[in-house]
Amino acid sequence: MFALNPNSRQASRAAWVALHYSNYHGASPSGLRALRHVMKVSAKMIADVGVKYYLQFATEDYISGQETGNCFATVLYQKKSKPEVNIKCARTQDQKQIQEEDRRVFQYLRHQTKPITANKIPDSHGNIEHALLPVWALAVAGSSHIMLDKSKENVGYFLAQIRTAKQWIRKDGAVEFEYTILLHKTPTQEMDLCYMNVLWSLHQVLTAKYICASESHQLDDGSGQEFGSAAETLHKKGGNFLQGLSASHTRSMGKLCAQPEAAITFPSKPRYSKRE
Amino acid sequence: MEEIYTWMAHIQNNSELVTQHYLGKTVENRTIYYLQISQPSDKNKKIIWMDCGIHAREWIAPAFCQWFVKEILQNYETDPKIRKFLQNLDLYILPVLNIDGYIYSWDTARLWRKNRSPHMNGTCYGTDLNRNFNSSWGTVGVSYNCSSEIFCGSGPESEPETRAVVQLIESKKNDILCFLTIHSYGQYILTPYGSTNTPPSNNEELMHVAQTAAAALMEKYGTIYEVGSTSLILYSNSGSSRDWAHMIGIPFSYTFELRDKGTYGFVLPDDQIQPTCEETMLAVTTIIDYVDQKYFPGGAMILTSGSLGLSLCLTAVLTLIVP
Repeated sequence: MFALNPNSRQASRAAWVALHYSNYHGASPSGLRALRHVMKVSAKMIADVGVKYYLQFATEDYISGQETGNCFATVLYQKKSKPEVNIKCARTQDQKQIQEEDRRVFQYLRHQTKPITANKIPDSHGNIEHALLPVWALAVAGSSHIMLDKSKENVGYFLAQIRTAKQWIRKDGAVEFEYTILLHKTPTQEMDLCYMNVLWSLHQVLTAKYICASESHQLDDGSGQEFGSAAETLHKKGGNFLQGLSASHTRSMGKLCAQPEAAITFPSKPRYSKRE
Repeated sequence: MEEIYTWMAHIQNNSELVTQHYLGKTVENRTIYYLQISQPSDKNKKIIWMDCGIHAREWIAPAFCQWFVKEILQNYETDPKIRKFLQNLDLYILPVLNIDGYIYSWDTARLWRKNRSPHMNGTCYGTDLNRNFNSSWGTVGVSYNCSSEIFCGSGPESEPETRAVVQLIESKKNDILCFLTIHSYGQYILTPYGSTNTPPSNNEELMHVAQTAAAALMEKYGTIYEVGSTSLILYSNSGSSRDWAHMIGIPFSYTFELRDKGTYGFVLPDDQIQPTCEETMLAVTTIIDYVDQKYFPGGAMILTSGSLGLSLCLTAVLTLIVP
């Protein structure tokens, strides 16, 4: 076991990996966390397996920036599979209130009669339409799964922008969204384009399926590129995954960008507020 | 960008402290200007350099350079700190270095990073200007593939934007005390080096000054900045302007990574622009102030009896020598 500088890039990257894990498995778009700062970190080499980090860090609300309490976590980077995470966090916010917010967001999304569609969340100037904040938060939660899978000891990700979002109205009461997203990768500075399908069920279980363009630079150098061509590329690359989707989903992929944004109203005063 | 060109011309015409100077041309033949803020004086002054917008998509950076100029001009008469350092230091401010890329990020691809130089017969575009300087060029944290976001160019200083900066800095390097280069995002003040883990000779002082700056920044809105060497706390990179500036002998060389920590990243919302600029202003002036105190101790503002006595004495001597 050796102690590391809490300011080191390895420390903050490992802390983010732990947060990706909890932001995905927490299935709580109202309770997303971001890293504030790492307080303590040490690491251990485990022969034939990989490196394990032991972390203590402070977090804040992903959207409002309010302090949300400290976490203890271990992150095991494995040679052959995705990082293994254990995390326990204190909550400074009222847990009941967050659950209530989640429930409200869930009901709001579920009761759309006209599916929500949107492009560019946030837009080029960082604006997010109020009614789209839950769509964004759901994408943060879902994309945390991708970022967890792809993170390595020396490679990190952030959700840079949602390029397109489209809701699928379901009869079973679950909430389903189809996204194309851009992930900002460091240290390569690339924007990885991923297609992601997020399913949020009544019992607050969240699952995200995805395919990412592996040769990102072939796609990303227009962030002005339209969904259709991106989806087409993904379609070709990700045949297996797309076979699992219903025919209507697959057919519609290329058409999304042409659809106008739906008029959306938020039923009650949402918790989200932008940070100072 | 047109607005920034207009603003630069306007500010030169409306302030006696500011002059606009030609720095060079971009790949697409646009003119790069920098602003010099300088109080008329016959003293030998030193120089603080600050550039913004070396990476196209980091829009908060050019906003900060403009804010900085505005603040200095608005307050130099009333703020004793600014008034003092302007007696000893000239400020060279480059609001947008990568103009072609910046325009491309407005018009075509918001998340564009590099400049717009064509490669491979125009099949791929752009060199990362912050991997193109002649500081361990091409050794670590770069790509030789022109479609990469960290393509270091065909050789050190292969890009006209890089050469424009190098030419000016080289010609004035004996007078430049401080080199600041403004980026986003992540909330860091980064010291040299990116290309090696070996700390620079004045590391302790560099760290101390940066930590003081981060503390001043935090006082405004509580924003936390991390301070440390680039290779330790961010990642290893070679060919950066920060490393290059320190390697040619500029003692205080820093990279700022402004807000935020990843929630909005490059697309920082409007309502965070002003707070970001305000808090960064405190950090930057803290660094300038330190440099000023160090190289111009005592200073003209503080008239101690000793210095007054000395100057009276000198006046007397000069009066005697020069009839």
